[in-house]
Amino acid sequence: MNAAREALLLPVMFLTVTLAGGLSLGPPVSFSPPPLFALILAALLVAALFRSGVLVPAGLVDASRGPLANVNGAVVIVTLFAASAQAFHLLTPAAGLPLLLFDGFLLVLLLNTLVTYPDRIELLRSLMVIFGSGFVLKFVILAALSDPTGGRLKRLLLLAVEGATLGTLTQDPLPPAAGYIAFFTLLLFLIAVWALAPPQRHTANWRLKIED
Amino acid sequence: MREPIVRAAGLAVVVAYAGLIVWVYARQPQTLAQVTGGLASSVGAYHVDAQSFADGIRFFRRGQFMEARAAFERADPAQRDARTQFYIAYACYREGWGHFYNDRRLLARGLEAVDRAIALAPNGRLVVEDDPDLQMRSADELKAELQRGMQRDPNPLHVFRSRK
Repeated sequence: MNAAREALLLPVMFLTVTLAGGLSLGPPVSFSPPPLFALILAALLVAALFRSGVLVPAGLVDASRGPLANVNGAVVIVTLFAASAQAFHLLTPAAGLPLLLFDGFLLVLLLNTLVTYPDRIELLRSLMVIFGSGFVLKFVILAALSDPTGGRLKRLLLLAVEGATLGTLTQDPLPPAAGYIAFFTLLLFLIAVWALAPPQRHTANWRLKIED
Repeated sequence: MREPIVRAAGLAVVVAYAGLIVWVYARQPQTLAQVTGGLASSVGAYHVDAQSFADGIRFFRRGQFMEARAAFERADPAQRDARTQFYIAYACYREGWGHFYNDRRLLARGLEAVDRAIALAPNGRLVVEDDPDLQMRSADELKAELQRGMQRDPNPLHVFRSRK
């Protein structure tokens, strides 16, 4: 991996996701650390990245590299974990039944991704689906249901779930900017994970090593 | 550029950025002024605006407490100066205090400000010795008075109490 990418670009991208992932526009504005479950999901994601060859620990920390290069590599792994935890924290609703459903949904998706043993491209596609669907569910559908003014989408959704009570589904209304910040934070995370992946040829070698 | 220089510079930037993130999560700043003021104070470069502080003192002594708070808040936008926060709390107390009724919303704001003042003061001890207009000189007295004001008081004789 290019030294500038490893030492500066990737950690800065992951740290930006870590910072923005915990931002709650309130009011009041606050920064919340990830809950325990987000750490578990992040550990599963890092494991999936490792199994698919997107993350090659030996390419980041290895006896053949210099001490400074190893520190840079370790920083990439640590910041990747922190950013993953905050990305999941960002995707999950604050409380209630949706929090339980989202956590279950993300856990099953990640376990499924882990056991299917995807290659680099498949994993990146899978991540796009996980984060994309999570974003739509939280910031479009749940946000519409929780909108106190009640837009057209809310009326449509209420029609679709006619008879169901929304008391356990609705969340505190999100500020208008929250969705935009979340979108660009998740996009940055996906770009950083994509930039983390070594070229396809090395990935293939790594997969062959694991299979041996 | 040589690779070790890139790696060392990258590490320095990342450590500084990570430090900023830890600071933001620990301090929970509400405004950009609080972010810049907090960072400036951490390197000893933060100062209150002397002119606005003097304006605040003048308004405070005239009993124009709303104007005084506005001037003090302008003097210390990052909420990093213990003395200014003490005066904000005192202005809230004097405006919110009443013989028959206390404005609890204002007293609560005062309590927040005095808590900030205590947190910012060295060892949590803040005493304002040089202002003859004040009847409570220490943050501890002011905090206790604000807390008493927040409580519901059923004793009718307390209407004869005086404001400090």
